[in-house]
Amino acid sequence: MELFLQTLLNGLLQSGIYALVASGLALAVGVVGIVNFAHGEFLMIGAFLAWALSAYLGVDPLISLPFAALAVFGVGALTYRVSIRHVLLAPELNQMLLTFGLGILLQNLALIWLGGNTRTVTTPYQGSSLSIGELSVGGPKAIAFGLAVLILGALYGVLYRTTLGRQMRAVAQNRRGSQLIGIDVERVYLIAFGVSCGLAAIAGVLVAVLLFASPTVGLVFALKAFAIIVMAGLGNLTGVLWASVVLGVSEALVQTYVPGGGGWSDAVFFLLIFATLVFRSFRGAR
Amino acid sequence: MTAVGVQPSAVGRGDVVLRADGLSKRFGGLLAVQNVSFSQYDGEILAVIGPNGAGKTTLLNLLSGVYRPSSGRLHLLGRDVTQEPMEARCHAGLGRAFQIVRPFPEMTVHENVTVGALFGTRGTTLGQARERAYDLLERTGLAAHADKEAHELTLLQDKRLEVARALATQPRVLLLDEVMAGLRPGEAQEAVGLVRSVRDSGVSVLFIEHIMPVVRDLADRVVVMDQGQVLAEGTYHEVTANPQVVAAYLGTEEGLHA
Amino acid sequence: MSRAMDGGRAVVRRPDVPLRALLPLGLFFLLALVFPFLPLGERSEYLLQIAFFTLVAGVLALSWDILARSGQVSLAHAAFYGLGAYGFALLGKVMPWFLAMPAAALIAGLISLILGAVTMRLSGMYFAIATLAFTEVVRTIIQNLPEATAGGANGLLVPALLGGNARAQYFLAFGILLFTALVSLAIRRSRLHHAFAAIRQGEETARVLGVSVVKYKLLAFFISSFLAALGGVLYAGKTFFINPLETFSLANSIAPLTTSIFGGLYTTLGPILGATVLRVAEEILHNSIKNGYLVVYGLVLMLSILWLPRGLMGLLRRGKHGGDV
Repeated sequence: MELFLQTLLNGLLQSGIYALVASGLALAVGVVGIVNFAHGEFLMIGAFLAWALSAYLGVDPLISLPFAALAVFGVGALTYRVSIRHVLLAPELNQMLLTFGLGILLQNLALIWLGGNTRTVTTPYQGSSLSIGELSVGGPKAIAFGLAVLILGALYGVLYRTTLGRQMRAVAQNRRGSQLIGIDVERVYLIAFGVSCGLAAIAGVLVAVLLFASPTVGLVFALKAFAIIVMAGLGNLTGVLWASVVLGVSEALVQTYVPGGGGWSDAVFFLLIFATLVFRSFRGAR
Repeated sequence: MTAVGVQPSAVGRGDVVLRADGLSKRFGGLLAVQNVSFSQYDGEILAVIGPNGAGKTTLLNLLSGVYRPSSGRLHLLGRDVTQEPMEARCHAGLGRAFQIVRPFPEMTVHENVTVGALFGTRGTTLGQARERAYDLLERTGLAAHADKEAHELTLLQDKRLEVARALATQPRVLLLDEVMAGLRPGEAQEAVGLVRSVRDSGVSVLFIEHIMPVVRDLADRVVVMDQGQVLAEGTYHEVTANPQVVAAYLGTEEGLHA
Repeated sequence: MSRAMDGGRAVVRRPDVPLRALLPLGLFFLLALVFPFLPLGERSEYLLQIAFFTLVAGVLALSWDILARSGQVSLAHAAFYGLGAYGFALLGKVMPWFLAMPAAALIAGLISLILGAVTMRLSGMYFAIATLAFTEVVRTIIQNLPEATAGGANGLLVPALLGGNARAQYFLAFGILLFTALVSLAIRRSRLHHAFAAIRQGEETARVLGVSVVKYKLLAFFISSFLAALGGVLYAGKTFFINPLETFSLANSIAPLTTSIFGGLYTTLGPILGATVLRVAEEILHNSIKNGYLVVYGLVLMLSILWLPRGLMGLLRRGKHGGDV
């Protein structure tokens, strides 16, 4: 029973980061209408920023977090201006391939520049742990989860309580209509895409603390985010939270209870994505 | 408008080519089509009319196989096609042109029609299909545009292409979904001529239409739908004189003589 | 402009594929045929090896393009390339190479039918991600097979093709690319071309017009994967040694996709041309960029989408429609 509860708790904590990555992706898909295959690479940039600031300037990742978010917001906005904007009306295939190319480009630039090694960030609270009754939680994990909840709370607050947020949701629901009632759609797109990338970067900083930074670290998170938004249904922002918890917890259960999970855990995960997609396609069939 | 006025059906009641028996379609809690039965006779032009939301397009999707009915049966040329997919219904002799034209954008006009000729009937070789496509372009007035890409056409030409492509599958029954929509009156009159020539070539036509003068000019018989059900059936003059039909249309903003 | 009724007017009937369109393709194969006989000097061995892998890249890209013609933009090409390589490595131990080669390709082709069947209703990004996930599943399975047979994560020795004779291997690769090109041309001149194009440009409309979408989508998968696996056989037989991480790497799915888009989608010459340019560029850059040469593919992909939507073929035949080969 205790093992079971501990597993559930681990899964729940893990889902915080998933929700951050997936909410960002859902913003890009829902508001801008772009499936951003480079989403994981923005996470990767955030992870490397946290590592660099910590390794060279001794800045704690928790302090560099807002700067990383802001910097990657800028990178995202720039990316939008020079590339994404030009394919908004192009066929979906072109949009997909453009961001796919961008992802390959960024990932391999990092590989050329920084090499394929993983970089870890050391923090004073690395080895700490928290106890809740019989259960125990790693300090960084708890902090990461707390931050994820805070930031997601802020995001949803903005989306549902501010003018900008309402505009974003309006654009997500009806592009033409929003233009007609005087929303500056272009500006909303730019901000939404930037925020989307910024959220990925925040997740990246947390990933750097919990795991490591490497050129390919983003890929697996991006794929999980895809799985989550597909489970939630495209553009469904609240569904993303639930789907993240489902994925995090089920992953934790597999790791704890499936024997020899090590070599197969990746396959299990990809099989899950595959099955989700195929299941949805057949259920959606007429 | 050169009104044809009273044009009694020139066609004798031949064989039934299309028969719907109690077709229903449920989407969740909504019964979009409810127990619809009708027969279409060989060589007949049959119109399906009704106010917006009456279930006409759902019915057409049931006939062409986009949806499977929740209950009821559909017979095409005496064969039960209720569970058959779209492509099988096409092979069995059912053609369809869409309300919103759907040309293959990267193909020329001729290639568009070739696809219909090649796959619509079994045993057609590519050479035969290409020839038949050229013949159809001549018949539908698109000969001069064979090598253009579909997006270079005007709306009327696009509609002609839509019809030519459906005819290329050599249907016995052709379903037309509001083909007059968006056309200017002069163009609509031309399209009416096209539909008549299609019927004269031996194809039975079932069409959905909003524009009542077109229905009056074209239809041998009219089926009126309202709220998913068949409300009335008969000649144009019979149904427009039917108080129930008038009431159904009065309840909407369109009115009967829109 | 257009007269209201020009019904009776006779139409100009043109042939489907004009023969002269085949000229550049013939020129490419002629050059490739005489390449080993050119006075290449002391670097001839190295140059022949580059040429060999260019031909393999051509097979991979063109086979990917054949699948893409039916509207299925796949990220699973590495899976079938890898299945060909592993199939050949394992079957080559028990049968002669000329049997092991088609057998491996056949196995890959049959497995692709499973993928094709379950992804039948997926499109766009869903299809792409599902095929990507499929590749990872296949890789993990191969990696977890008993080490004694499949070598596990460490990899596997492969019987050398044609006794390791570089020139003979080159001509085998030449033959397979020629075969792939002939298949592609045969498709272009057959009903498959019309079925694929119709499905790609409007699946539901295609079905209404009687196209058996299931049949043609699966056929595209089979042909494409069979040919990709032949490419995998060439790779395995040339390098003697294969491992799951490299053989099934995402790069092997990205390269054919980028190459075809850069060269010119839905053509025979385009992917071959793209493979030649990108492969040579890769060799030139290889000394300056050790890891991460894929950066070139990422950049080329972006630039092609933004500024060269019809690829190199678009530059060659500006403004012409139809009849592309």
